[in-house]
Amino acid sequence: MTFVVAVCVAIIFGTGVYMLLGRELKGIAMGVFLLAHAANLSIIAMSGSPIVYDDQTGESQIKAPPVVTADETLTATLANTADPLPQALILTAIVIGFGVMGFLLSMIFITSRATKTLDIETLAEQGRADAEEH
Amino acid sequence: MTANQIILLCMIPLAAGLLTVPMVNSLHLSRLVGVVALGLNALLGLTLLLQVSDGSVMVTNLGGWPSPFAINMIFDSFSGLLIVASSLVALATYIHSFSTLQPRIERRYYHPLFMLLMFGVNMCFLTGDLFNLFVAFEIALMASYALLCIGGSRKQMSQAYKYVVLNLLASTVFVMAAGMTYGMFGTLNIAHIADIVRTLQAAGEPLPTGFTALGAVLLMVFAVKGAFFPMWFWLPDTYYTCPISVAALFSGLLTKVGVYCVARIFPLIFFAGGAGDDWLVPLLAVSACATMFLAVLGAVSQSQVRRILSIHVISQVGYMIFAIVVMTGYALAGAVLFIVHNMIVKSCLFLCCGIMEKHAGTDNLNRLGGLLKRDVYLAVLFFIAAMSLVGLPPLSGFFGKLIIVHAGWEEWWWVAVFALITSPLTLLSMLKIWSYGFWNPAQDPIANHPAPKRGELRAGYIGTTMLVVVALFLGFGAEPVYQVARNAGDQLENPSAYINAVMGDRAITVIEAPLEDASDKREALTLKPETENQKPETSQ
Repeated sequence: MTFVVAVCVAIIFGTGVYMLLGRELKGIAMGVFLLAHAANLSIIAMSGSPIVYDDQTGESQIKAPPVVTADETLTATLANTADPLPQALILTAIVIGFGVMGFLLSMIFITSRATKTLDIETLAEQGRADAEEH
Repeated sequence: MTANQIILLCMIPLAAGLLTVPMVNSLHLSRLVGVVALGLNALLGLTLLLQVSDGSVMVTNLGGWPSPFAINMIFDSFSGLLIVASSLVALATYIHSFSTLQPRIERRYYHPLFMLLMFGVNMCFLTGDLFNLFVAFEIALMASYALLCIGGSRKQMSQAYKYVVLNLLASTVFVMAAGMTYGMFGTLNIAHIADIVRTLQAAGEPLPTGFTALGAVLLMVFAVKGAFFPMWFWLPDTYYTCPISVAALFSGLLTKVGVYCVARIFPLIFFAGGAGDDWLVPLLAVSACATMFLAVLGAVSQSQVRRILSIHVISQVGYMIFAIVVMTGYALAGAVLFIVHNMIVKSCLFLCCGIMEKHAGTDNLNRLGGLLKRDVYLAVLFFIAAMSLVGLPPLSGFFGKLIIVHAGWEEWWWVAVFALITSPLTLLSMLKIWSYGFWNPAQDPIANHPAPKRGELRAGYIGTTMLVVVALFLGFGAEPVYQVARNAGDQLENPSAYINAVMGDRAITVIEAPLEDASDKREALTLKPETENQKPETSQ
């Protein structure tokens, strides 16, 4: 399972980096978002497998959430508890990612309005022209 | 020592930021709120700094949880000094902005963004937890992105994407590094990780696989934020485009936050675990040389005041990296002193540049001139700030540089040589501004530029003068500041006070002395709880 997630992370990362190397701001923004998602997935991969194997019986079971149920018994023991912290980290990272995404897209919109282009080469030329004229 | 006032350092700017949102159209009211908040922040920082001047560490556990689980706010000499310096810089640049910022831009939520930036920066300095460091970074960066684009002129927008995309990339890698840390150590609390690393080290057990790689990843993150040598290219392209008070604030705070994180985390965790010895520290040393030397060459080659100052920000970061490379308590004390000095003086130079622009309408040195005749007071302010930056002996830059070079001379003499070569080049770049801008006879377009109206620049002068006075104090009253910096350096080198204060009775104490000759290394390790430190007070 961890291996599958790791492969997914690798693929998303590769795609993200490829898009980052493009020449247009929209593509670069998409690349950044993909990288952010890959980072979140990689935290899942690092937080261990969700399945525990029992060596004696050969059975496998999904880890339980560490919460007390309605009849006040704690079903999960330390051996088969899922760790809630990585998910809390990812949740925070996703929320921050949303905010950043909104900002970046509106920044790109304003850039296109102010400079009439989203091409990086043209932007760089405009920057040089502004510097000389100043 | 626990203290709940620490949280106020974050809450005051946050409250002021939220308060200024509804009053964004009444400039005087929001200015008043901002000045009061920043002034309170500086005062509070100063009082708390006096309380920790004996080398103690203040900790607040948010929510009253015990330590490895709680989110810690930690106030020691290092973070305290930086918080006081950053609050002073913020106050001065904020006051300065009243006379240099257009009201049109001020109405576009300049005040809330400024306060939220301070909130993020203070939280970066205070937090004792790797993931909250990421969150604090994001808070500060979001505010800084918005401040960078404020007004939305063509000149700003054509450059802004570099800063935003580079910092977003760094943040992404930072999230991954935090996840990796949690996977390796099962904790994100910096003091706890340091404790685990020291325990493993003393027991002679191997550190988790990928420990050095984690160090390299985190170093890359902080190198982007702090503009170390290979990751610096976003800085000179973006800092000069924004309004001058914002540029002054950025140059004073943002790169220093990156440097602060390296100085805080690396001696505590990675160098203690021996991750740096093989190639991380030499890499940093080379980076320090290149940062100092190449950036100052870049500064000398420019002909616009803003660009000279922006590129020069990077050059000064090199000295701080050099001190971190040397890693003794003495050198780290020098680093702390130098960071504080640099925050103040660099922002001050930007503020001077703002007033120069008001006088002449341009910052291009080929067209400037005659400012000495036109405004002697500004010339005096600029001269003091520039000479402090260069490090002429009674002024503030001298002591930090002296300590850093002196501490590093034995082992890292080649880096020290670069540091010494950089100084005259710094002088050269400052003299360039001085001679072209102030001494040259005024040329036609400048000579006829209308002088600013009486009183229009009063706030600008107040802000700049504040920073010059602080810079003079750092020079002539270096002794008390050095004492605090020395405390900070010692705490960075020998963090047992820090770890004990954070972890309380959960700290695992390592007796370091008899390690070499103990036949069984495990005997040197005592797992007894710290008895002097009573249980952390969970609720106050």
